[in-house]
Amino acid sequence: MAVNTGADLAQRQDAPLRPSKANPWIKNGLPLGVLAFLAVLPVFQIANDGLNYWLHMLLYVFLYVIMSSSWNIIGGYAGYISLGHNVFFAFGAYFAGMLFVYLRISPFLMAPVAGILAMLGGLAFGLIALRTRGTAFIISTIALVLLTIEVLDNWPLTGGTNGLAMSLISLEGQYAKIPFYYYLLAIMILTILASYFIKHSKFGLGLRAISQDETKAEVAGIPTRQYKILAFGISGLFIGMAGAIWGCYLTYLRPSIFLTVALGTSIVLNAILGGKGTVSGPVIGTAIMIAVNEVVVAKLGASELNIVVTGMILILVLLFFPDGIVGSLRARNRLPSFLDWD
Amino acid sequence: MIQAIQVLILGLALGGVYALMSSGMTLIFGVMRIVNLAHSAFIIMAAYIAFWLFNLLHVDPILSIVLTMPMMFVVGMLYYRILFASRADNPRFIDITVLITFASSLVVEGLLAFFFTGIYRSTTPDYAKRSFNFGPFFVPESQLFATVISIVLILGLWLFLRYTRVGSAIRATMQNRNAAQVVGVNVTWVSTLAFGIGLAMAGASGSLLSFIFTFFPAKHVAWIGMIMCLVVLGGMGSLMGALVSSFLLAAASAYVNFYIGSAWSPITFYLALFLILLFRPQGLFGKKVEV
Repeated sequence: MAVNTGADLAQRQDAPLRPSKANPWIKNGLPLGVLAFLAVLPVFQIANDGLNYWLHMLLYVFLYVIMSSSWNIIGGYAGYISLGHNVFFAFGAYFAGMLFVYLRISPFLMAPVAGILAMLGGLAFGLIALRTRGTAFIISTIALVLLTIEVLDNWPLTGGTNGLAMSLISLEGQYAKIPFYYYLLAIMILTILASYFIKHSKFGLGLRAISQDETKAEVAGIPTRQYKILAFGISGLFIGMAGAIWGCYLTYLRPSIFLTVALGTSIVLNAILGGKGTVSGPVIGTAIMIAVNEVVVAKLGASELNIVVTGMILILVLLFFPDGIVGSLRARNRLPSFLDWD
Repeated sequence: MIQAIQVLILGLALGGVYALMSSGMTLIFGVMRIVNLAHSAFIIMAAYIAFWLFNLLHVDPILSIVLTMPMMFVVGMLYYRILFASRADNPRFIDITVLITFASSLVVEGLLAFFFTGIYRSTTPDYAKRSFNFGPFFVPESQLFATVISIVLILGLWLFLRYTRVGSAIRATMQNRNAAQVVGVNVTWVSTLAFGIGLAMAGASGSLLSFIFTFFPAKHVAWIGMIMCLVVLGGMGSLMGALVSSFLLAAASAYVNFYIGSAWSPITFYLALFLILLFRPQGLFGKKVEV
């Protein structure tokens, strides 16, 4: 039985880019139009209350796009699958949250710092864990999550399992979501741009070579070890920033929010469903999965079945659809130009 | 001194169960290079079977092994046949199998939580409350029984692998899949069988765990972390390694638990994992293979 594997996937992506015959107005206009719409949406909320549900859903989309796109840098481009990227998220949230609770420093100021520290943490972890490959690496990322849970549960400064409570932002309900909305939107745009520029850099080329054949990549003179560690660190940067903002948005921090297995899996699933190793894949996968989750929760109402659905979709995608939506469409030459961001 | 020995006894009394839990996973990895991250989810599934047998039919949890082992054996064979069998020869598939087993663990967890809720469960046979005294020391009967039975089962597995024809075929497949195929081993069948045996081990440990620990569906995450640490420390695919690392870490975590604090004993496992990955990625007994 013919099976689609990562190797085929990588080869297809590295096929020479066809000269684009697409209408540039559709190719560039549609994504930019969506972006413009997202940028002006809060204006309607300010003018006339009632969009808070949509803003909340979009905040979720922004957050998960940031996480899946970041994951894609190490998991998609370099092929090193991490199931522990929510540790960066927890790190950012707790770092900014603790500074806010104990020293009253605003998370909005500390988000970039949290991101940079998360990146440094990622580099340090990568230094150890990226000595291994394949399954051993995946195992070490799961162990990282479990280790972090133990630390957060038992360290008094983080409030243990009870967590930390942060005071509400002093804005009326009608406006309360808007600062978070713009901050996360900005981080999301930065993440997607970073993903694009990394893919088109020598660094990104090196990462993709690693995902195909690491030994050959090394023989070809690519500093594979440094590249992998750097990619792992960069993938933590934006997630750490988003974590700082998200913690403040939730107003309470608890290990059971940030370090669930379901969250770690969703990050991976969104990227793979959309198409790992592509720029637009994680964005599309995230949008679809959040819609699906919303329907599942609304219709079935049980979070246990939510996990079942997440697991089933992941299995089906991996078995029958490993290139994801963008990858499969591109392989059949059917990818609409406005989804082709590579 | 007496105290230190007592702690050691309590630690070692858990080691056997840890070894049983990791033996199935290490066997599955050895034969198919599949890291079965759903292993602990299946263990909890078996623990639920033992729980309901005990509560509804008053079947002793130790006796329930007779049922959980064959049931999980069949589950294991089906699981392998449906998800992995047709793709086993594809080397690029291995990375994906980890995600598939991980996703399977979520499905099992979600279904268990849906049907049995998240209430903490455990079986309570009489011996779960008694302990066995000798001189100044004591050991809870439940742990003693569980460890003895575990060691018997592991010994049985070892004898099976060592002295039967099928066992030889399994070991041959572990050593070299292609070469085994060349000399006439039906590797697909052997793999299916090995997966069944691996999950049968998980079934037995589920029965035994049901009266040592409390369990609930989401608990499998903590256990898979522990089992992974044991398997990697011992060397993936090595039965001996799983046995040694289980007793080693069971004792170490008992000491950490007693002298530093119960909260830190799980951390013993993860630290051991990171140290072994740093200094000897193939594990204590593992051969240097690309994992």
